[in-house]
Amino acid sequence: MINISPDIKFKKQLKQVSKSSLNECMQCGTCSVVCSLAPEDRPFPRKEMIWAGWGMKDKLIGNPDIWLCHQCGDCTSYCPRGVNPSDVIAAVREITYQHYAKPKFLGKILNNPKWLPVAILIPTVIISAILFTAGTLQIPEGPVNYSKFFPHAWLNSSFTFLWILSIGLGIVGLRNFWNDMKRQNEEFESKGNFIQNLFMILKEITLHSNFSTCTAQKTRKIAHLLVFYGFIMLLVVTAFAIYAALTHNYPLGLAHPVKIAGNVAGAMLFTGLGIMIANRIFDKKNFGNSTYTDWLFLISMLLLTISGVIVEAARFLNWGIAYHLYFFHLICVWFIIIYLPYTKFGHLLYRVVAMVFAVSINRKVKA
Amino acid sequence: MNKTQKPVLVIGGGISGITTAVEIAEVGKEVILIEKEPYLGGNVVKFNNYFPKLCPPTCGLEINFRRIKQNPGINYFTSTEVVEIAGEKGNFKAKLKTEPLYIKNNCTACGKCAEVCPEERPNDFNYGFTKNKAAYLPHEMAFPYKYFIDDEYCKKESCNKCVEVCNYDAIDLNAKEEIREIEVSSVVIATGWKNYDASKIDNLNYSTSKNIITNVEFERFIASNGIGENKLLRLSDKNEPKKIAFVQCAGSRDENHLPYCSAVCCSASLKHALTIQELYPKSEIKIFYIDLRVAGRNEDFLVKVQNNKNIELIKGKVGKITETENNNLILEAEDILSGKKIKYEADMVVLATGIVPSNLNLNLEKDKNQFMLDIQTEGIIPVACSRKPMDVSSSVKDATAAALKAIQ
Repeated sequence: MINISPDIKFKKQLKQVSKSSLNECMQCGTCSVVCSLAPEDRPFPRKEMIWAGWGMKDKLIGNPDIWLCHQCGDCTSYCPRGVNPSDVIAAVREITYQHYAKPKFLGKILNNPKWLPVAILIPTVIISAILFTAGTLQIPEGPVNYSKFFPHAWLNSSFTFLWILSIGLGIVGLRNFWNDMKRQNEEFESKGNFIQNLFMILKEITLHSNFSTCTAQKTRKIAHLLVFYGFIMLLVVTAFAIYAALTHNYPLGLAHPVKIAGNVAGAMLFTGLGIMIANRIFDKKNFGNSTYTDWLFLISMLLLTISGVIVEAARFLNWGIAYHLYFFHLICVWFIIIYLPYTKFGHLLYRVVAMVFAVSINRKVKA
Repeated sequence: MNKTQKPVLVIGGGISGITTAVEIAEVGKEVILIEKEPYLGGNVVKFNNYFPKLCPPTCGLEINFRRIKQNPGINYFTSTEVVEIAGEKGNFKAKLKTEPLYIKNNCTACGKCAEVCPEERPNDFNYGFTKNKAAYLPHEMAFPYKYFIDDEYCKKESCNKCVEVCNYDAIDLNAKEEIREIEVSSVVIATGWKNYDASKIDNLNYSTSKNIITNVEFERFIASNGIGENKLLRLSDKNEPKKIAFVQCAGSRDENHLPYCSAVCCSASLKHALTIQELYPKSEIKIFYIDLRVAGRNEDFLVKVQNNKNIELIKGKVGKITETENNNLILEAEDILSGKKIKYEADMVVLATGIVPSNLNLNLEKDKNQFMLDIQTEGIIPVACSRKPMDVSSSVKDATAAALKAIQ
């Protein structure tokens, strides 16, 4: 006897996010066969589709397979019933961010367009409050110098603190996620500790080899690699900038190697994001339905990149509106960095943890 | 009976069209039956056997052909299509076009023309797997029983060999196409079906793998007058296969191909599996399916198949077929009941392709899948597979109903 308790609310949400008519799936298994990653034993996404149809939230959320899928869309293009399995799996990922969000309301306001003003208002108010406390909430006189507007000590300490706080809250969500995966996969013996298993997936993370198996969307791998490494380079550059602000003269000159690396990373981000956005707009057939969560992440990332470049230029050119642009850039930073566990950027955490879990129960993709 | 009433036009000389025509004629009304092929019998005449009693087509059709011959009320024209229909119930005007008939009706089917004919053509009766001459008898029980010349391959007067040997002066290589304008009281659309083009299902690799055939081709392989003459042969090496796999829903129930269920393919594959078991009792057969849809008395076939130890029914649609170096075929499916992906290597694969309505270039009401809607201009009556997929016995019942509608 299988005890099935459908979560109707979850099913409705899944239908709404995925735009899929879940019940039209006839469980033929074509998707599992055409998937280039599905393992031989208990392949996906056929079983996920019946769980989705039955509204079995626990099964779906606590299932590492959801994160082994790279959404190449092969299952969707061969699906005889047009139920878009790849979009359903993607929708489960989106719901996962909300499900484990701590505090809950952040998960809600970042995945629903009607709460977007609130999502923007929060960083606006908090950044203004920090500036007010620092006593710099006004446009400084003289040549553009951002540290006059937002003193380095205040900026670095407040943003670093908030980021650590948000990652900390993210880790609470990840712990619950891990425990749910354990509960749903009790029958499988787990081996190795987290760090050992993390080491096993480093190669995949650095090389993105599973992306290559995608036939319908050839440009995805290069786009993701550009964004991935561009972002990592910028994080390193930022860390160096914080260090430099404490010890050297800051800002760095244009010819400084770290400055060059920062500008290259910006170009990589911009190119990668450009490909991702162009693919979604001009190749709907292969890239499926994009959701609000997907667009919010892409657009905030793009605005972060563009505003970063403009803010840098505004400093050299001494533009009058430089500080306003800088303020906008900080809001973008907030959206990407502080909101990380609640937006699509959360895949950085959830996907890695799910991949580690899959290694621990010896579950390997085909490729 | 009102003798002044105009005849009924029946478009399509398959089992449904023939049945409609005979039923109408046998209550004393006149019928004009047209068929675009040079012979009557449609798809059924190509079968090895058909449901429900597994009779060979020679059986049921022969009786019908005799009923046609004996009834002066039926006028039939083969190699003929309808070009135009206008008018209303009781008073339609139709224009018929008959291809040039190079061999006249006084042909005795002696076969001398084919003996001397130097040109070959792919034999469409065997789906092009065999060849015959440009002057040919469509098949052993062709009705009308006479030879036919395929002008796509015939070199006409520049060859003229057949004209020289014909003792009955039956060949006229200058024949022209004929246009007939007729007046009819009502029109029965019995245009039937063709099977779905399996080459469109790219993941099944039908067009590149020699040992994958379709279910309708299987009938021609296995028929006594067919390609293998009661044997099943692999096209790659002419060996008899030991492991045969059936792929159900090859195109049917698939929005990328045919969104509807073709209704007959499950029963057909069960029938085929049992036929193979009779021929080769040691053969291993797998049938991959989504759901087995066998209604009514055809369920007996399912029971027989379930009781046969050499036939395995696997719930899971084949998502991919790849050909090996020795022309075997690897089928991939998810076995839904165990939740494991399986790969099965077969010597031969039969795709259960579905039913597509034949194209009829007239301005009629069709659904999105090109099947005729039941509601047409009054007096135009679609029947059987022109309106939805069905098997022979349902088609015959539908045809009888259409006959009643047509004479009212």
